[in-house]
Amino acid sequence: MTLEEKKLQVVEDFSLYDEWLDKYEYLIEQGKNLAPFPEESKTEDKLIKGCQSRVWLDYELKDGKMYFKADSDAIITKGIISLLIDVYSGRTPQEIAEDDFGFLDQIGLKENLSPTRAGGLASMVETIKRVAAEVKDKKEASDDSQVLSADDVKELAPLYENVVLALKQVYDPEIPVNIYDLGLIYEININKDHKAYIRMTFTAPNCPMADMVISDAKTCVEDVPGITGCDIELVFEPAWNTSMMTDEARVALNMDFDVDDNSQE
Amino acid sequence: MTIEQLRSQFPILEEKVYGRPLVYLDNAATSQRPVSVVEKWNQITLKSNANLHRAVHKLAADATAEYENARQAAADFIGAADAHSIVFTSGATAALNLVAFCFGEACIKPGDQIIVTEEEHHSNIVPWQLMAQRKGAVLKVLPVDDNGRLCVEMLDDMLSSGKVRLLSVAHISNVLGIVNPVQEIVAKCHQYGCAVMVDGAQGIVHQKVDVTAMDCDFYAFSGHKLYAAPGTGVLYAKKQWLEEFPPYMGGGEMIETVRWTGTTFAKPPHKFEAGTQNISGVPTLVPAFGIATQMREQSIDSEAIAIKDYIYDTLRKDPRVKLFGCPDNPQEKIPLFSFCVDGVHHEDLALILDKMGFAVRSGQMCAEPLMDRFGVTGMLRVSFAPYNTMQEAQQFITALDKAVNMLR
Repeated sequence: MTLEEKKLQVVEDFSLYDEWLDKYEYLIEQGKNLAPFPEESKTEDKLIKGCQSRVWLDYELKDGKMYFKADSDAIITKGIISLLIDVYSGRTPQEIAEDDFGFLDQIGLKENLSPTRAGGLASMVETIKRVAAEVKDKKEASDDSQVLSADDVKELAPLYENVVLALKQVYDPEIPVNIYDLGLIYEININKDHKAYIRMTFTAPNCPMADMVISDAKTCVEDVPGITGCDIELVFEPAWNTSMMTDEARVALNMDFDVDDNSQE
Repeated sequence: MTIEQLRSQFPILEEKVYGRPLVYLDNAATSQRPVSVVEKWNQITLKSNANLHRAVHKLAADATAEYENARQAAADFIGAADAHSIVFTSGATAALNLVAFCFGEACIKPGDQIIVTEEEHHSNIVPWQLMAQRKGAVLKVLPVDDNGRLCVEMLDDMLSSGKVRLLSVAHISNVLGIVNPVQEIVAKCHQYGCAVMVDGAQGIVHQKVDVTAMDCDFYAFSGHKLYAAPGTGVLYAKKQWLEEFPPYMGGGEMIETVRWTGTTFAKPPHKFEAGTQNISGVPTLVPAFGIATQMREQSIDSEAIAIKDYIYDTLRKDPRVKLFGCPDNPQEKIPLFSFCVDGVHHEDLALILDKMGFAVRSGQMCAEPLMDRFGVTGMLRVSFAPYNTMQEAQQFITALDKAVNMLR
């Protein structure tokens, strides 16, 4: 049944009863038939604000549709929320968020409630619409999110190689070995938007050339075709030591392996 | 007078709601108006509407005479020796605020104490909280026991600090419906030099009040609960307090002369009646006092007592009902019953009863601290007036049973 059909059905159900006392009886029945709501889920964040009686509302998202659960300590309120979640469960967040809830006016519910209850009903409607809108926004945000498909990964692989090559062009002016072979690069990440994120260190925290080296590295990486940007984070944990150098670097610096072993202690 | 004759003076009682006869059981919130009150309002409005005390013309003189006549009537109705002890306000809440403010300004030093009771209406809590904050005073609370009785025996202890300047107490709680022993409380407080304010919003309706015998310092009530026009209220205060108090609100009528160098004020009670007063409303107190007096006639009163006993017994015997305010002596109970029904929400009950034609009250009754005291989120309250009949009382019990069965 579509949302419109369901709403029509509720309006018709209500019109079967001439007297509001009978309509209440119908609501009370609805309330009594409501699926149980686990006591442990009755937390403050699930309480609908603005109702004189307490009303809890929760939902699950299955296959892109919302399924509501609710409870109240007052039975007529329970009937009303039960009616609402019966109509709106199994609908998409978009359908709910964009609905005008006009069928409530057709059945005359608002006029037949006490002012406090009518305020409570308005809070229930508002809450249902709000959570639906939140789910909808979250979904839209995740649609253009950072999730990588297999194709994305394939596309990114050559970029990593090129970023490493770029980093190998960068030198600390005082050391004849590039920063990559020196072992200063701890992490390279490239996201779906082809933005690079690099975590690096220096041989010592007080390296006077640090700013210049970082800026060089950033420029070189950003010059790699396909890379859209580069952020560099400087860290000193774990602290750099000579064991982090590549073999090529050791050769270039005339270091023998024994020295290396000692330095590890 | 018979109840039928009494009822015929309240046309609204003939109304139907949702096609059913109205049974009005929310009298503690506001009572209905008799024809005499409506006629008085109309007479003033249509024939002698003018601002009070100032102009020399005939209408102003008539309006002023009606207004000041009501002051004398109020003094007579509550046994005040002097009409100058009567200040007109917009209701009991305004009267309580007036005293809290003026007493605070005139008599309260930091560290002084004020006592209110656990069963007070918000209107007899918040003005004192505001004053205590402003003046650095401390608000103390006299508790009620499980039956809803004030723990008066704890008063000596609380008063013995010698710091308590004023105690404010309801003559009758709007939730518990128990007549408090105000005379005893006043006598005790006065021993310790503590003034007493009595919130008579419910008391004035159900008790013959004599402020002179009671010896209270202040007594406040609203007109709308006593069959008079809404927006009327009376503050009785011993004259020495009114002399001592600073003005509350500034403006017309409360002044004597106004100069840029300073203003002198009118004598009490006019000193406390700033601005245009409730010209049409205040005179309705006179017919209201009249009908309230008639309601105390034996023929009416005996029926009211029979109704009270019937409801009190029925509700107390119902195992589903938890009734709040159960004095051992039924004479201390007024026909006002606040209760919870096991497994049924008070608001549901009120809604169903409304559709059956019964006007009842549900919720916290402006007494949240008392709701907390009894650990409930709210109660259902039915409050009877002398124009309610035994038949209505029986119909209510039947309707309550039906509603409870629907909801459980």
